[in-house]
Amino acid sequence: MRNKHTRRVAFSVMLTLLAITSLSAAISGEEAMQNVYNRDSGNNMSANLVMTLTNSKGSTRERSIQQFRQADATGEKKIMFFLAPADVKNTSFLSYSYADGRSDDQWIYLPALKRVKRVASDGKSDSFMGSDFTYDDMGTRHPSADTHKVLRTEMVDGRSCLVVESIPKEAKPTYAKTLSWVVDNEWIGLKKEFYLANGTIGKRLEINSYEKKDGVWVITDMKMSNLEKNSSTRIQMLDVSFNNDLKENFFTERQMQIGPRI
Amino acid sequence: MRHNKIKPIVLLAALFSFAILTLSAKSIEFNGMLRDYLAYTFANSEFAVHEQALDFTLTGWGEHTRLVVNPTVYMSDDKPLTLGIREAYMDFFLENADIRIGKQAIIWGEAEGAFITDLVSPRDMRSFILADFKEIRKGVPAIKVDYYKDAFTFEGIWIPRFVPSTLPDKESMWAKKMPGQLASATVNSPASVEARLENSEVFGKISHFGSKANWALMGGYAFTNEPYISKVTPGTPPVIDQEYGRYTMGGGSLSTTVGSSVLRLEAAGYFDKPFAAVTQGPPPSVVVENHHQVQALAGLDWSLWQAQMSAQYIFGYLFDHNAKLMEQGRPVKEYSNTFTFRVQKTFISDRLTAKLFTYIETDPLNALVRPSLSWSIEDGVVLEGGVDLFVGDEDGTFGYYKENSLAWMAVRWYF
Repeated sequence: MRNKHTRRVAFSVMLTLLAITSLSAAISGEEAMQNVYNRDSGNNMSANLVMTLTNSKGSTRERSIQQFRQADATGEKKIMFFLAPADVKNTSFLSYSYADGRSDDQWIYLPALKRVKRVASDGKSDSFMGSDFTYDDMGTRHPSADTHKVLRTEMVDGRSCLVVESIPKEAKPTYAKTLSWVVDNEWIGLKKEFYLANGTIGKRLEINSYEKKDGVWVITDMKMSNLEKNSSTRIQMLDVSFNNDLKENFFTERQMQIGPRI
Repeated sequence: MRHNKIKPIVLLAALFSFAILTLSAKSIEFNGMLRDYLAYTFANSEFAVHEQALDFTLTGWGEHTRLVVNPTVYMSDDKPLTLGIREAYMDFFLENADIRIGKQAIIWGEAEGAFITDLVSPRDMRSFILADFKEIRKGVPAIKVDYYKDAFTFEGIWIPRFVPSTLPDKESMWAKKMPGQLASATVNSPASVEARLENSEVFGKISHFGSKANWALMGGYAFTNEPYISKVTPGTPPVIDQEYGRYTMGGGSLSTTVGSSVLRLEAAGYFDKPFAAVTQGPPPSVVVENHHQVQALAGLDWSLWQAQMSAQYIFGYLFDHNAKLMEQGRPVKEYSNTFTFRVQKTFISDRLTAKLFTYIETDPLNALVRPSLSWSIEDGVVLEGGVDLFVGDEDGTFGYYKENSLAWMAVRWYF
């Protein structure tokens, strides 16, 4: 009986060791995050975003955005048209992200000024429309901006996830490190924690709902909680569609001024 | 007077036309803003301005077309109701080109709060430069064609009938007084430019939109948006006649990223621009002289401690300068050096915005300092307050309005 138990324990230890060994041998943190970055996101995608901002007192405000995204081997282009509230209506935001890791190019169209302005990319840690998401969170951070390490595997919503620690390379990062829960072999993130320099969690991103649409994984409901401010922002992605028939020059200054209709 | 009676009729006719034209449009959008603005001048200890403004835009969408009408209504305690249409135009969206026909505001250049290549649309200067940027711009009836080829845009603008800038009334706190012997002069309204083909204005621009840089080269054959003194008839008081004159402009602008900041450059040359060379007398007299003039700007935008910052340096030079040259009742300087600085930061999830915008002229030293706070009571409802301080030498552009330093508050409701 005891021998049997000992064999079981030994077998479990072996399996665990094998799992750890195979995990570390199978994939590095860099590879995991590169896979997340390279995950198929369709030729292009459009969606209506509803952002619900909840402050520490529980009062809520809502923002509405129509977003279009297109990716290719060189990087990603994204255009966002702000639909509500009324004081930001018709404002649009265009960004080009590059696969080679160079800084994003960003422009904003302000209808009151009737002008498309190039904006400084060092504002990436700024709040996006007063929400708990930053411009960096709304974009696609290039894996080369951080060093990554797979810490362990964990089950989230019944799925085996790699827990990847990412430490920013920049001199003065907003967060000292992040932990991402990435579904193994699917390369979709299900949870992310942003750690402050003192080791406590500053923000937490939770995925409430995700689905496979047209063969592409898409997050349709997520919530970013700011634990320092006791506020949160929920983003619901509605009317998601992939591989739309977008004009060749859709991601340009011209479209920023026209809006999403034509 | 007749003009005032016609305005409401024109407005109603435009709205009616809009309604008819948009019947077949796929959809109509309606949005705008109501604002109550109250200003208190320190020098006179009075509420110099209390104005309500309604600014709304009706947009009708077709499959490849758009119709935009932007009527405005201004009300105040001591002025008659003012109705206007800032813009009323139709867009035709083609595969590689857009055509815009109608009254439209056209904005050029990279400068913030300065007008270097941005001379297509005249300005509404009735509140000096304190009005919202949107309100400073006047729409002009024009045909604008943009043709797109790869990352390039070729733009052509034809303004059949010249529209000048709107200047403050003689009684306005923003009116400029003539200097010296001409202070008591009777100033006649500028002679209007005849609506003839040869008096139309034309502008052209080639621009490039790209990752490394956005740049544009532009030129135009235009009228001076503001009038100059064309004749002084001696007498008691002397009588001043004004007119608008032709000149050619050419320029360029560029914006690019430098590290994580944005560098903006803009320059323009104004060729054979007419200026009044005024001899104070007695008797006073004037000769119209044509001079070349250049203006150039270098600006940098950056972000620091989650605050947006911007600094600009604007340089001006007038060729063959002499001490008699005047523009808008003020002497024209040979060299001018102006700096602007802006810092803006939001707090409490964008509910509170603190902003400081400053113009500083170095010779003579004078400035306009504009700190302000705005509080978003709820989405689309904003309470604002601020101070506009005109300080420094009274011979300067801003110091001249020293007596007009004011505190203001406003409520805006966006819909």
